[in-house]
Amino acid sequence: MRTQLQQVSTRFSITLIDELAPERDDLLFVQVEKDQAVPFLTWLQELAGYTHLVFFTAVDFIEEGYFQLTYMVHDYSTHQDLAVLLKLDREDPVVESIHHLWPHAATYQQEMYEMYGIEFPGSPRLHDDFVLEGWDDLPPMRRDFDTRQYSEDTYFPRGGRKSRDTAEYMKEQLYPGEAETW
Amino acid sequence: MSIKDIIAPFSVWKRAFEKPYTSKRPIDERPGAARYRGFHINDMATCIGCGTCEEICQNAAIDMVPVSKTKHGDSGLRPMIDYGRCCWCALCVDICPSGSLGMSNEYIWVDSDPEVFRFIPGQDNKSWNDSSLGYRRAEGYDLLEGERVAMPMLSFEESQKSFIEMVQGYSEEQAKREADRCVACGICIATCPAHMKVPDYIEAIREGDMEEGLRIVYQANPLPASCGRVCSHACEYVCAVKHKGEALSIRWLKRYIIDQIYKNDYQKILDEIPEENGRHIAVIGSGPGGLSAAYYLRLLGYAVTVYDANEKAGGMLRYGIPEYRLPYEQVDKDIIYIEGLGVTIEQDTRIGVDLPLTDLYKKHDAIFFSTGLTDPYGLNIAGEDLKGVMSGLGMLDDVTQGKTPEIGSSVVVIGGGNVAMDAARTSRRYEADVTILYRRREADMPADEEEVEEAQGEGCQLITQAIPLRLEKGDKTRLRLYWGRAEMVPDGEGRRPKPVLVEGSEELIECDTVIPAIGQAADYSFIPEELLSSIEFTRGYVKVNEFYQTGDKKIFAGGDIANSKRDAISAIANGHSAAKGIDIYLKNFKEEVSRD
Repeated sequence: MRTQLQQVSTRFSITLIDELAPERDDLLFVQVEKDQAVPFLTWLQELAGYTHLVFFTAVDFIEEGYFQLTYMVHDYSTHQDLAVLLKLDREDPVVESIHHLWPHAATYQQEMYEMYGIEFPGSPRLHDDFVLEGWDDLPPMRRDFDTRQYSEDTYFPRGGRKSRDTAEYMKEQLYPGEAETW
Repeated sequence: MSIKDIIAPFSVWKRAFEKPYTSKRPIDERPGAARYRGFHINDMATCIGCGTCEEICQNAAIDMVPVSKTKHGDSGLRPMIDYGRCCWCALCVDICPSGSLGMSNEYIWVDSDPEVFRFIPGQDNKSWNDSSLGYRRAEGYDLLEGERVAMPMLSFEESQKSFIEMVQGYSEEQAKREADRCVACGICIATCPAHMKVPDYIEAIREGDMEEGLRIVYQANPLPASCGRVCSHACEYVCAVKHKGEALSIRWLKRYIIDQIYKNDYQKILDEIPEENGRHIAVIGSGPGGLSAAYYLRLLGYAVTVYDANEKAGGMLRYGIPEYRLPYEQVDKDIIYIEGLGVTIEQDTRIGVDLPLTDLYKKHDAIFFSTGLTDPYGLNIAGEDLKGVMSGLGMLDDVTQGKTPEIGSSVVVIGGGNVAMDAARTSRRYEADVTILYRRREADMPADEEEVEEAQGEGCQLITQAIPLRLEKGDKTRLRLYWGRAEMVPDGEGRRPKPVLVEGSEELIECDTVIPAIGQAADYSFIPEELLSSIEFTRGYVKVNEFYQTGDKKIFAGGDIANSKRDAISAIANGHSAAKGIDIYLKNFKEEVSRD
């Protein structure tokens, strides 16, 4: 598989990333450019034997300014996994849909739209609620979403809860009478 | 209606005798996977109540509640988890510095009362408390950095050649990286004798705001350039991160702040000084205790004069600690600022000799004395008065005054404290061969660990369990020191074993100089009889109340003569408390006293 990928590397401008999976020889990682993702995946499915989309997900690399999409595909004849990684600009999170290659990809894309705000133009039911009914805030899996602030704004606190500050509590217990407290 | 519709309900019955996919509770048990993130467990004895779990919890599910007794290094608080909010993400387990928090693989808990789902893991009696299965932080996966940022230091070969400061200080990048390791739990604040707001000034370093850092430091410590170098750093022994590896380098981070600020800029940054309120306080001794009291008294509006017997101010900071640990210009940096506030320091004025204490007593509204321990203990062995025997303190004092100590080419230092290590390492800098004799084991040595290590690194030979027997005049060398081996004999419950001479053992070291450094006592001879009678002493210490007031209402005391810790930071804390104590006394009780 490695040789096959190397042969098409210029055609689809892909790069093999060896350091990501050193302990498994049935898994390869490959980086692809945004405009070559769908042509490359089409080639993988139709000509290279990777007929199964195992999962399709995203990670927010906020410090570096991109979402990393991972298309995990599988070849049943060789039991080889291939992870196709794509860096997507956080400021412009739009990428071609792959629901025409694998219909169930639409569900992954619907989820990624809801959780990260990534657009897959033309993907069925993309803007329908997935699990968050009536969500109107920042997509919650984006790392700039403040979970704590959201829950403070949205929910009321449970009664009877009381926490103590470690430093203040130790002062009360250990040195209530020293100069600092006068 | 088709025939299928009629038959379908009955065809389901063929499944009635197959094994169901669901499990029957409570007949079937389905244990969670070995690393399942189930209900929390907490080892109560390991937990230190630092509250880092509460801090990291994204769902605000954790409260810190009082459970056990508060002691140094353990707040006595323990996490209580609200299962109405917990999402079992396990961040609390991953961050826990002591490693006490974990998760069992149990996941079924049924109750009709919603309040029971707030519980204290490890404290409340739960079936999963002893579970060895479930989620634990994986080996090698750390959210906290256990390793300290290495301090640039002179090598031992280099350091023993001169009095150049050995510890060179962090760069900005190093200081920020070190500051980033802090979990800001504040457990160190209670242990610091001066209760410095350590997490706050570490945060100032992270933010790069040195001026704020300086303000925070000065709230509780007006001698930070010195303390940032030689503090006994009790804080670092209780640091939460120490449970994961090495403690935060708190002392050196404080030094970093001070090193970034030019001494003439202090006045712009720190509090404005109030006008003098017409009352005048005398401070005797310009060591850490005296200077600290003078600083805080001046901040409270009092006019302050410090009387000091030496040529320069600083006390033991200057005369007892060698330059390679604490350069004199750093002591000066601290003192110049205090003097700049209008505190007068009368040098070369020994109270009781140059000026009677009764004069000060009449002239001032109150007196604070922090005169320290100045009289070295003798060895009480024969030959102690021979030429070549000099006290550790005396030798360090000479070096500070610019005299070259006459130690010859071989030195034996007797003692295991910081003064002994300083005398030994100073002797190395005058190219003498140095042997340190200590009567207990290495682990018992009262000196700071790094001092012992550095003394040995610089080539001082350490002999432990050694008791000096007698001194004689030598022929090849100035002295012959006879010493005997000691064995450690248990000395009752809770006490450390004491060294007892092995009968008949006797060894000889030929050397030019013997430096006893086995501790020192206070000298109260400057206090005249009429004042002495009202001041109480217990085992050599001055007895003071919580305001650091002695039996005489006008006289306050602090520092090594009034606390058992005998370090600079405790003296600074005493001085601070005494300053506030004097203020309270003068504002509230003064009139009553003068009517007496």
